Amino acid sequence: MRLYVSLLLAALLALAGVLLGFWWAPFPVGLAVGVVDRRARITVPAGAAIGLLSWAVPLAVTHARYGLGLTAQSLAAIMGFGHQGALPIALTLVVGTLLGLTGAWLAGAARRVVAPSARVDAARNG
Amino acid sequence: MTAAPAVAESRAAQTTAAPKRRRRARLPILNLAGAVVVSAAVLYVAFFPAPGLPALGPAFNPTTGAWSMAADAQVTDRMLHLQGLQRPVRVVLEKDGTAHITAQTDHDLFLATGYVHARFRLFQMDLLRRQGAGRLSEVVGKVALDVDRFELQLGLLRTAQLEWSQLPESDPSRGALLAYAQGVNDRIKEAKDAHQLDGMFKLLGYEPQPWTPIDSLLVKGDMTQTLNFTDTPLAMSLLYKSLGADLAQEWFPILPPNQQSPYDPGPYPKPTAPQPIASMEAPTSAAALPDVKPLYDKLAALPLGLVSRSGGASNNWAVAGAKSTSGGALLAGDPHLHLTLPAIWFQLTMDSPTVHVAGVSIPGTPVVLIGHNEHIAWSLTDAQNQQTFYYVEKEDPSHPDAYFWNGSWKPYTTVSYDIPVLGGPTQHVKVRWSVHGPVITDKGQTTAVWWAGNIPSQDLGVLLAVDRASNWTEFRDALRGWYSPTHNFVYADDQGHIGLISAGYYPQVAKGQPWLPMPGTGESDVVGTIPFDEIPQVFDPPDNVIWSANQRQVTRDYPYYIGTTSNFFDAGYRANEIHLVLSQKNKLSATNMQALQTDTRDYLAAQVVPVLLRSLARGKTDAKEAPAIALLKAWDYRMETDSAAATIWSYFWSYYMAETFDPWWKSRGVTVPRADEIEDALVQDLEAWTLRDPDNRTFSAPGVGSRTAPEAQLTAFHKAMTALFKLGPGAGSWKWGRVHTRTIENLADVSGLNYGPRADRGDSNTPLAAGGFPSTHGPSWRMVVDWGTHTFQGVYPGGQSENPASAWYTNRVDTWWTGDLSPMLSAQQAATGSGIRTWDLQP
Repeated sequence: MRLYVSLLLAALLALAGVLLGFWWAPFPVGLAVGVVDRRARITVPAGAAIGLLSWAVPLAVTHARYGLGLTAQSLAAIMGFGHQGALPIALTLVVGTLLGLTGAWLAGAARRVVAPSARVDAARNG
Repeated sequence: MTAAPAVAESRAAQTTAAPKRRRRARLPILNLAGAVVVSAAVLYVAFFPAPGLPALGPAFNPTTGAWSMAADAQVTDRMLHLQGLQRPVRVVLEKDGTAHITAQTDHDLFLATGYVHARFRLFQMDLLRRQGAGRLSEVVGKVALDVDRFELQLGLLRTAQLEWSQLPESDPSRGALLAYAQGVNDRIKEAKDAHQLDGMFKLLGYEPQPWTPIDSLLVKGDMTQTLNFTDTPLAMSLLYKSLGADLAQEWFPILPPNQQSPYDPGPYPKPTAPQPIASMEAPTSAAALPDVKPLYDKLAALPLGLVSRSGGASNNWAVAGAKSTSGGALLAGDPHLHLTLPAIWFQLTMDSPTVHVAGVSIPGTPVVLIGHNEHIAWSLTDAQNQQTFYYVEKEDPSHPDAYFWNGSWKPYTTVSYDIPVLGGPTQHVKVRWSVHGPVITDKGQTTAVWWAGNIPSQDLGVLLAVDRASNWTEFRDALRGWYSPTHNFVYADDQGHIGLISAGYYPQVAKGQPWLPMPGTGESDVVGTIPFDEIPQVFDPPDNVIWSANQRQVTRDYPYYIGTTSNFFDAGYRANEIHLVLSQKNKLSATNMQALQTDTRDYLAAQVVPVLLRSLARGKTDAKEAPAIALLKAWDYRMETDSAAATIWSYFWSYYMAETFDPWWKSRGVTVPRADEIEDALVQDLEAWTLRDPDNRTFSAPGVGSRTAPEAQLTAFHKAMTALFKLGPGAGSWKWGRVHTRTIENLADVSGLNYGPRADRGDSNTPLAAGGFPSTHGPSWRMVVDWGTHTFQGVYPGGQSENPASAWYTNRVDTWWTGDLSPMLSAQQAATGSGIRTWDLQP
């Protein structure tokens, strides 16, 4: 339960950062998640989910308030994707996801190098 | 099991486990390395732009990035405080986005206009000022470097700075420009604070700098350049060299060879000083002409719009109250420009204690350029007279950085500029100025350009006075200060009067042939302009109609040089058609005006097709061609989308031109393209020869032998048929709309944000101008005024907002396309309309 609460708080922190204009917030939050918990199979997907959520929620709110259809189509046109509005939306969500994911991954990987796990230490010590 | 095998087994297990452990020990390092590389890549593309991509983080930030376009597209009722306002201002936005600004002081009116312009067109305004100031490379990279260098050489920035510095403190336009800049800056601050800068700023990764009055003057300079900075004398020089002086003079005469409809038939005053230049009687020695090919190639490579190659193609006319069904004067105007999204125009009304004006403005400037006030209405077309002259400077290695002028060596004035370049080192450009103007050659013959657009002028002050004028005298007096570009200002007032005046500079040279580059040693300098009272103009003409469509305004009796057929008056077919319609005996109504604006009758076709049909009847034709000939016989000369005859005519004329001139181009090695203003002149020639000189020597081109016009027509017709049969076997299926489309192009060159291509009617000769395949120029604003009923109507193809996610991006296009007009409401009328938005602007 403590893990889920921590991840929820991390997601809220990243979301607050993005809402305040700090679009890179998922990355440091992902870093923090990776530092706090050493289990990569949990932290990396969690980082990705935090990144995705913190970028998706503001986008969803904008869509609910103003509609994103024309904007997405316009951005697609500007990017040379015709009027495939789904593409800039996907690209946006991928960017958010990658920010959270890489943050968590980087921190976890660094931690495993700097402070190897107890099991490895025990094995080394015989 | 014995101990020995067990030990051996254990040793064997240890020897295989060791590499596994080592591999396992290396895994975290590899994992970290992978994380570092991927993280670095993600962070790099998130924070920094890559070729063809913006920095993805800020650009697609869901809160403050380009997605804020969605919020920006919404326009709601608002109350907001603007810095610099003196009193409250009310802005009413109609359902279609037309803005109505009502202020209690002039200062507040201009401030609010700046705010409103910037609210809907800030990116467009920024692009326009960057173009004029040579600062496009700063935001788009080295792709714009040649444009920036050229603009700084040409001198728009220098002229704008001079205009601002020379503007007296007491001049009303000074206050207007300052207040306007304040309003723009109020919006920039608001947009930055609310993270609602236009999406293009986000995608290009920059924020706009504060607006200054010089920026407004740069925008004005851009328009002047688009309309009348030409390279035609350079092209003409190359044509003289390749074709020879005799042919060049015959094909590109001063006076048109065809029948035209000047609006000012005279009588003209005797010329006062300065003297008119010599005529084209004395042939120029082609061998003596300077080598301007490098300069011509340089200018030819510049993007569309920086060099005017066919001027405008606009219409305006007026009908006096005595000839209108309503009893009041009628006025119609449709300036033809590059059609863009967003449009060059922004529609609004401006009301203050001293200003009551409605019409269209150019974002970046605080005035209505075309429109009406309580008493008068006006519109404009480009006058097309020559305002660009090239001078070949005499230099000598023993006098470095100097040129010979009026008997002595003079040093060039040198100005240096820095051009910041996105993603590259700052570039430096050094511009030399002679007495004639900026030197614009980098290599080849040193050539300076005298361009009227470089003369500091207070055009915005003139327009402010026009906006406030209430009769012809005030209107005409205001235009005394208008220098460039020369425009045909048409006028109609609430007293039934009409007028037309082609205001601006008409430079006169002391000696020489101004349609060619001239020596810069002094004897051919510009010595003045035609006096204001002697420029083309009429007021209340006896036949109660006046019209202009870029045709030569005066007859051959006019005593001054104003330009040649190629430099660059229109061929005259739109003007002839308009004159024909207006000259009918019946009285005319606003509905007639509207119909004439979308008239698709091709005057040239009406002249030439009967001749062609006679030639075909006398010559040998194929049975397969009979249906096409039948279509031409039954044709009403209208270039409608469902007309197959229109397509046949267009193909024929194109092949006829090629059949007549291409052999000459090939045999004489002409490097100037047969296009634009060169084509305009040749079209007039071919029309004149077809109708009156079928044995002209031009038809007997090198390699084709002796030939007459009818023979050339037959050959061209057969070739056209061969090409047309590729469209399908049945002539009836060759609809004009299959081959002729129109596209309204995105201003930032984003093709995905264009409107069209869509099948459209008209061609370059019809009042509904639609030249090109696809056509990208045309009526950029249509306005019809009826002072008898006090009805004002207008429309432009586009919308008030530059935001493609806005409902006001293209909402006016369909109305425009069908030829309809929208009512131009007053602020009071608009305030009671449905679907309006109201902004209360508070100090």
